[in-house]
Amino acid sequence: MILEGFRWLRDVGVLGMNRRNAEYIMRFNPRSSFPLVDDKLKTKQLAEAYQIPTPPLYRVIEHHGDMARVEAMLRDYQDFVVKPARGTGGGGIVLVTGHTQGGFIKQSGEVIPMKDLAYHISDILSGIYSLEGLEDRAFLEGLVHPDNVFDAVTYRGVPDIRIIVYRGVPVMSMVRLPTRVSDGKANLHRGAIGVGINMGNGTSLSGVYRSDVVTHHPDTNKPVTGIQVPRWERLLLIAARAADMINLAFLGVDLVIDQARGPLLLELNARPGLQIQVANQAGLLRRLESVDKAPPEIFATPEMRVAWVLETFAIPILN
Amino acid sequence: MKRPAVLLAVALLLISFAVISYRVIWLKYPILPPARAKVWQLSMEAHVKGGEKETNAMIGLPSARRGLLVAEERIHSGTLNFNLLREGPNQVGVWSGAVSPRGEVIGYSATIQVKPPRSFKTRTPPLEPYPPNVGKNDQALVRRLVMKWDPLPPVDRLRRVAAAAKGFWGTPPPEDQDLHAWSAFYDKHGRVTAFLVLLRAAGLPAQVVEGLPLAESITGSTLTWVEVWTGQEWESFQPERGEIYQQPVPLLPLTTNGLPVVRVINGELSEVRWTLTREIINQWRMQFERIMLSNRFLDRWSLFRLPEEFQRTFRILILVPIGALMICLLRNIVGFPTFGVFLPVLMALAFRNTGLAYGLGIFWGVVLIGYVVRRRIDKLRLLLVPRLSVILTLVIVCITVFAMLGNKLGLREFMAVGLLPFVILTMTIERFFVITEEAGAREALWTATGSAGVAVITYGILQLEPLQLTFFVYPELLFAIAAVQVLLGRYTGYRLSELLRFRKFWRSS
Repeated sequence: MILEGFRWLRDVGVLGMNRRNAEYIMRFNPRSSFPLVDDKLKTKQLAEAYQIPTPPLYRVIEHHGDMARVEAMLRDYQDFVVKPARGTGGGGIVLVTGHTQGGFIKQSGEVIPMKDLAYHISDILSGIYSLEGLEDRAFLEGLVHPDNVFDAVTYRGVPDIRIIVYRGVPVMSMVRLPTRVSDGKANLHRGAIGVGINMGNGTSLSGVYRSDVVTHHPDTNKPVTGIQVPRWERLLLIAARAADMINLAFLGVDLVIDQARGPLLLELNARPGLQIQVANQAGLLRRLESVDKAPPEIFATPEMRVAWVLETFAIPILN
Repeated sequence: MKRPAVLLAVALLLISFAVISYRVIWLKYPILPPARAKVWQLSMEAHVKGGEKETNAMIGLPSARRGLLVAEERIHSGTLNFNLLREGPNQVGVWSGAVSPRGEVIGYSATIQVKPPRSFKTRTPPLEPYPPNVGKNDQALVRRLVMKWDPLPPVDRLRRVAAAAKGFWGTPPPEDQDLHAWSAFYDKHGRVTAFLVLLRAAGLPAQVVEGLPLAESITGSTLTWVEVWTGQEWESFQPERGEIYQQPVPLLPLTTNGLPVVRVINGELSEVRWTLTREIINQWRMQFERIMLSNRFLDRWSLFRLPEEFQRTFRILILVPIGALMICLLRNIVGFPTFGVFLPVLMALAFRNTGLAYGLGIFWGVVLIGYVVRRRIDKLRLLLVPRLSVILTLVIVCITVFAMLGNKLGLREFMAVGLLPFVILTMTIERFFVITEEAGAREALWTATGSAGVAVITYGILQLEPLQLTFFVYPELLFAIAAVQVLLGRYTGYRLSELLRFRKFWRSS
């Protein structure tokens, strides 16, 4: 029974945790490259050097000494996002959509007094949100106004698109939709839904919520299937180019689609999760192996890699 | 990529195997130290009465040379001196000194394991000459009696001699006058010597042995029999009854070559009492003393050479890697969630003092109290290090309160909580809180249950005495454990939990 199950998973080409760690992360992702993806500011600077669009960086707050000027700093921007540079799992991120008397309006509609926000930034600096508890930097960046294509299936927050890139080739992707449970965050383990995407044409497949396969958003009850992700080729191209800027052969690329600026790179992940396979009802291992078997000439440019993907990983649309 | 790991694992296994083989083959360690062995407890007690001069009491003692495993020898000598003397194949204890008028009690005891006899003397022993007091005529007589058996193989010759002891001489029977001469001969020399001579005449090397019958008994006298070489092995022959003992021979030899077991110069021995009792002990106990006294390198570097109080620690410590191996198995093959790598092992060590039920109860108690407090102080937004310090203090307070409660209620197990790994408990509370916040209470409880489960399994392993003993005797088994750990480190197959994790997806496809 157990061996049968294992054989089944192998036949479908599911990538397991052990194999991901030993054969892909440890083998292809050198430790020395991790700081570049673990620190969002470094990733952002790198992306700028490679002319990959990211949300605009407003300010960086590095020292507690800078706190005196924070208030004036915050007043300069109509809306913005506060992020810890080394935060994990969406912790410590505050989305501000507007000002009120003596404070700011968060995306959830709550008002956060100026003093509290300053305190929050101070917390970020002392490393409360960084995994190792090291001192951290905080930064302000432009608030993304997401394309309205996912409005019907998003409960607050900003949906983002995760693309797994192997040797520069985008192999699997999903769109992550915030739910009431996930509190506006787009992280699957916080309760967001992951919806698989047909790599060939960018239409959404079924989704995964916790460990169940779903076809509708649990809060809005609208179907999550069959949505056409706009600017799909452009998203794939950014993901493929992002992989070129860093020495990580197995990589998760997180993107958002801004109404005005189009696809933007949010962050990179050197240890992308495996739940994406459930969202896509497809095994990653099979796709990774087909990339290894691809003709060598397709690896020459990001454009050629994307063209190869559109052709190879197209799935017949599910009904 | 896979090769070097496998090579390393094989090398580690080989090291482990080589050292164990060396110990088993050259140093004669038992292959399974905890295996049970049937042994005999021999004890001898005697009362010596002295004369005017120095008294010497010489008593034959069991010897390793005769295929016996003798251990735990204890001597009681009172005011006398004791010496161990080797006389040929015999081992003789000599108690000597001036004996007080009231006499002196001497004693000896040992644990004896009778090994299969194959290990000693496979070379054909020489045929000894006739005893000096047997004349030419008598030699001719015994030759005439056994001559007709000469063509037979030694085993059959012995069978014929044994039959003769019962009066059956076979056909054709010897001349009447020879039979008469024979009965006169053994009346003169005694039955044992007569048959020794007869065996000699039949070309069978033989020797007189004195010892004890192997049976639970208390006896004041010893038994004499004849050992006969039949080409492959010594067979034991009882001339009194003309009986050949079946294997395994139920005899415990004390002296051979006709040496009496008990000899006294200038005094007398009264009330000699031999006691034999059966006992079942660990194989290991038989080896223990020998290794303690041995000069071989590995014996000198044995863990048994450590002072007693440290040995107890190492008995447990040496099993901890097995616990770690269990965690590797449960995490990478089964996919059980645990808090960190070491928490379950340290918990298991603590359970040894608190007991399983109390240990688990206290673990859950501290984690839940810690969680409630951690939730409260989350609102205070303390910095990481001070926050952990607060929780650490809380853990210590909890443990202290538990200990005091234990004292009031008279529960020793509660007072042993001081040995719980408090630093690890602190980190567990923090992780428990973070997992609850990020992935929900179910996930956190599941992880805590996983940790507790692994701790219980590890505890079970640490408590296995046979395993403790085996690893203590063969610490090189740790290399084998490391080999398995290396191999597990290269396991890239699925985890059992992934069957569950991806079940929806494979059922629908």
